[in-house]
Amino acid sequence: MSTEPVIELRGLRKRYGARLALDGVDLTLAGQQIVGVVGPDGAGKTTLIRALAGLLNVEAETARVLGFDVRSDVTELKAQTGYVPQSFGLHRDLSVMENLRFTARLQRLRDPEFTSRATDLLARTGLAPFVNRAAGALSGGMKQKLAIANALLLKPALLLLDEPTAGVDVLARSEIWTMLEHERDAALILISTSYLDEAARCDRLVYLDAGRVVATGTPRELRASVPLELYRAWGDDPRAIVRAARSLPYVGSARATGRFARIEVPKHSAPGDARVLRELMALPGVRVQFAEHLPLDMESTLLALARGGPL
Amino acid sequence: MTPPIIRAQGLTKRFGDFTAVDNLSITVQPGMIFAFLGANGSGKSTTIRMLIGLLQPTAGTIEVDGVDVIRHARRVRDHIGYMGQKVSLYAGLTLRENVEFYAGLFDLSGPELAQRWGALRERFSLGDAEGEKSEDLPAGIRQRAGLALSTLHAPRVLFLDEPTAGVDVHNRGLFWELIQDEAAAGVTVFVTTHFLEEVDYCDWVSFIDAGKTVADAEPEALRQRYSDGYQITIDLPPAGRAAAQQTLQDVGAQVRVTAEGLRVVVPTLEPAFLATLDRIATERTATSVHIEQPAMTDVFRRVLADSALDL
Repeated sequence: MSTEPVIELRGLRKRYGARLALDGVDLTLAGQQIVGVVGPDGAGKTTLIRALAGLLNVEAETARVLGFDVRSDVTELKAQTGYVPQSFGLHRDLSVMENLRFTARLQRLRDPEFTSRATDLLARTGLAPFVNRAAGALSGGMKQKLAIANALLLKPALLLLDEPTAGVDVLARSEIWTMLEHERDAALILISTSYLDEAARCDRLVYLDAGRVVATGTPRELRASVPLELYRAWGDDPRAIVRAARSLPYVGSARATGRFARIEVPKHSAPGDARVLRELMALPGVRVQFAEHLPLDMESTLLALARGGPL
Repeated sequence: MTPPIIRAQGLTKRFGDFTAVDNLSITVQPGMIFAFLGANGSGKSTTIRMLIGLLQPTAGTIEVDGVDVIRHARRVRDHIGYMGQKVSLYAGLTLRENVEFYAGLFDLSGPELAQRWGALRERFSLGDAEGEKSEDLPAGIRQRAGLALSTLHAPRVLFLDEPTAGVDVHNRGLFWELIQDEAAAGVTVFVTTHFLEEVDYCDWVSFIDAGKTVADAEPEALRQRYSDGYQITIDLPPAGRAAAQQTLQDVGAQVRVTAEGLRVVVPTLEPAFLATLDRIATERTATSVHIEQPAMTDVFRRVLADSALDL
């Protein structure tokens, strides 16, 4: 396996008028793996993915992708990269098969190779029964699967996906992830997502905020880097539990969901879990049925990174 | 019992040979947050368009807040607010100008508008965004602005079609607090989402598949029916295990002894069971309890798998 970095960025900047969408991105990624690009709305996720696809004029000290400088000729980079944009970019009036054939012709893929590759991808996406349907008449989930199949047609070494599962149902999302995991050993896959379960499923996460990479690591490493303890208090009125819990001096934040309240305690003020659990059970004016100390989850991790506390 | 605020019966919509919505019945009680779930292409959006009077059903009846929607499609618009996945704000206009425009549609002006918008601006934290052109608003603020506009005329029922698609985890949390506040103030909320963890903010869930209702219950009742139940891990020293096992079996739990302690499965978390867990956790030292709640994604999968078997 090659250890040459696939992506090597230093001081990558992208300016739109007065606004810096990317403000000095430093990022090195090597090997074949699934890398999640996460962060708040407006952090620069889409701009980063477009810059890596060679679609933008950028400034940088270093900006190499698959060995090509994205500031010079990107023809060959584009040929080796699969890119799925946020909005559906294929031809709505062409059928599923015609869309794939169109891409193959543009990229001069020979017919026998096209046939075997298309057959394989159509089978894996479950699109085989719909080869003659117009792409515009597919459901949201099927459109995205077609866009990904199209991006995979040329066996790219780098696959870039910009929120491919936004607005997609859980079954189609799961099929999309099965497709991505099938390609995990063949390509470096960068995917932006706002689903917590998808972030947790990535091999590695890149957390962007205000146009910079604020943290990178495996999901486990990012969780471990956040100095928070997470508690859960079960009861019939979680919103009342939240209001009462906010009166405890060491509680950082509290939110109600379903049958329980999620309560975060910053480690620097944490008095130890025995005391937190005891005091949650004894909150005045509400009935807490049970309190437990949980391992930190992806939700708390991403929220803490968004708040930008000391890491 | 109070009469339902949304009641649709025998609702059917055919497009040519294709039946998009098939004899669907929906009942929503006032003040409830009602989640309407289904895969892409299952008929959700078609149903919503009929409920808000934008699309004439092939058959069936619809009543929303006492208005016969099929006969008086225009009259229902004073009673409802609607927000789609693509928030409808006019580009080129500032948020404040959008507010004036929407207010005009509902004959709101002068001190009445000033008071209503003033309150919404405060509660939705939109003060800083008021002077911005709508296309410059970040996704999270745009969504909040969309919700504020859809509630400007103080409607009794809100229809929200994937309001949080593509929104980051922090803004999703804020958004759901606002939705819960609306419901607490008596507004009925009819909402669709693909973030299934959001179902736990809702009072009721209805699943549709191929235009038919396949499940319709409180979230907890669905968990009970469509999952393997809550899995509880209790780590405790060997000396205490037999007694704890007996206590748990006395309240009807299935208990298994593991290397670290006990593993318990219960279909739902009854107060008596939680009280027992609390006794076990607090009476003995070196004991930790972790509750694993069945994920809504798995519930959704099972609902759809069961419905496929029935077809």
